[in-house]
Amino acid sequence: MSHIDWVVMVLAMIAVPSFGLWRGRRNRRNVNDYLLASKTMPWYAMGLSIMATQASAITFIATTGQAYVDGMRFVQFYFGLPIAMVILASTAVPIFHKAGVYTAYEYLERRFDAKTRALTSIVFLVSRGMAAGIAIYAPAIVMSSIFGWPDRITTLIIGLVCVMYTTTGGIPAVTWTDVLQMSVILSGLLLAVMTVVSLMPHSVSFADAVYLAGAVGKLNVVDLKLDWNNRYNLWSGLFGGTFLFLGYFGCDQSQVQRFLTGKSVAQSRLSLLFNAMAKVPMQFFILFVGAMVFVFYLFNQPPLLFQKVAMKELAAQPGYAQIQTQFDDAFSRRLHAAESLNAARKDGDSAALTSATSDYRTAQHDADAARAAGIKLYQKTQGQSGFSDTNYIFLSFVTKYFPIGFVGLVIAVIFTAAMSSSSGELNSLAAVSVMDIYRRHFRPNASDHHYLVASRIFTALWGTWAVAFAQYARHLGSLVEAVNQVGSFFYPVMLGTFTLGFFFKRVRGGSAFWALLIGEATIVACAIFTKIAFLWYNVIGAVVVVVFGVLISRLNGRELNALPPR
Amino acid sequence: MKFKLPDAAFDPEPPPILGSWRNIYIAAIAWLVFLIVLFYAFTRYFA
Repeated sequence: MSHIDWVVMVLAMIAVPSFGLWRGRRNRRNVNDYLLASKTMPWYAMGLSIMATQASAITFIATTGQAYVDGMRFVQFYFGLPIAMVILASTAVPIFHKAGVYTAYEYLERRFDAKTRALTSIVFLVSRGMAAGIAIYAPAIVMSSIFGWPDRITTLIIGLVCVMYTTTGGIPAVTWTDVLQMSVILSGLLLAVMTVVSLMPHSVSFADAVYLAGAVGKLNVVDLKLDWNNRYNLWSGLFGGTFLFLGYFGCDQSQVQRFLTGKSVAQSRLSLLFNAMAKVPMQFFILFVGAMVFVFYLFNQPPLLFQKVAMKELAAQPGYAQIQTQFDDAFSRRLHAAESLNAARKDGDSAALTSATSDYRTAQHDADAARAAGIKLYQKTQGQSGFSDTNYIFLSFVTKYFPIGFVGLVIAVIFTAAMSSSSGELNSLAAVSVMDIYRRHFRPNASDHHYLVASRIFTALWGTWAVAFAQYARHLGSLVEAVNQVGSFFYPVMLGTFTLGFFFKRVRGGSAFWALLIGEATIVACAIFTKIAFLWYNVIGAVVVVVFGVLISRLNGRELNALPPR
Repeated sequence: MKFKLPDAAFDPEPPPILGSWRNIYIAAIAWLVFLIVLFYAFTRYFA
């Protein structure tokens, strides 16, 4: 990176948290300020904060790469989000607001019992605690591979900046920092797409680029075919995605805490509805950047593998030269076919268009086959499966082709995205630790100041844990992937439990608790014994909890709960 | 066993636009339907 890139990156990393601390400076007097911003936040700040917390650094790196490799079908994953937002805005938001709770799990004790609150709190602390470390580690490992920066130093810097402003400023600082971070992220993406298009050859217009991407299926946004084993299609996105996002935005404290800070129910509702309107187009836009990067590489030869270290090791293997030759040959044919296709389109020559399209698709198929052979050979030499260089595609492109200054901005986008995800997680982890565990079970009658200090201490402790976890994440190997999936195993049962709480008045604590355990067992069984795509777990888990909650409640007619519903 | 929207879910404060929350929710879902149709047309056209 050049000196200018370093200056841009460092300035962005200092300016963004400083802005958050400055904007949130008045809200640090008590625990209500620290954890709920004394319910003073406007809808746009909450809306952007929700968006920033959900979009981690790896979202931006991996999503663009995914479009390069697999096209834009991943956007269907988000089709359930607007539906989930409407359901939550009309139900969970007013219920949580009027209950006056600090955490979502506090509501469960009022509705059911202490053991249900404790179980869901612990599940949240375990899953989010590990995810907070991964949110820092994942971008650091990519930076390490591309720039050669030591990942331990990178995780330490991201972690320290994040812990510093989160511990000092609490949720107001986190929210206002997220607002600026989201602005930086959106500006970076806009610059990225403009730069990619401007780097195309002069003979290739924007419309040509879109046509070339579409001709090999990179613009495959909607797939109507219902396939239970296909991760991304319209139906899995609409049904599985709705349940997933209901669980994530309605039961995960890192998101619930955002809309609990709203000035009013209306402001909180608007923040979710803003996400309902903006999230799908934003994901489409990120994926579109990846599709344009693909078109750029039609005219500029890409490496066989984008991860430099893997490429270096692959190049030393016998059998590599043959694969590289196949790849080079496919690239040349693809380039020639793309140019012919472009010319035939402009001339309106339908026979030439058909022929060039066929050649173009065959060459793309051959290039994909050579890349797959390269990956297979690399995996064989490493003795491991599941290698993917998708996360490296966009950053490799940025560092090699972007103008000076833009590289620093894009790296700042990655870092700020990591910090926004992590800071939200740290603050919510502190809220659950203090309110659901410490205050509930250890010090129920301490002063407000005591809980404020405890919240700061817990934020710092969770931050230290996240950095420490990130330091050792490299030794965890495939466990990292497993940790990333932990949330998908628990959101459905939490969603089922909250659904019972919100809508089924006669279901009491005992039924909900056992239904939650049965739902969890069902999801584990699905994961072990079936090949059902994971998005469907969200539907299955939530439905099982609701059905069993109602059934057990009916069978156990004498079930009494000490606490009345709400 | 009755499925019932709890009383706490009703809030008297109206939204700043479109008159009622119901209209806002309909607008959000209509926006999603519009995007899906648009993306489907986009997929078909460029395929």
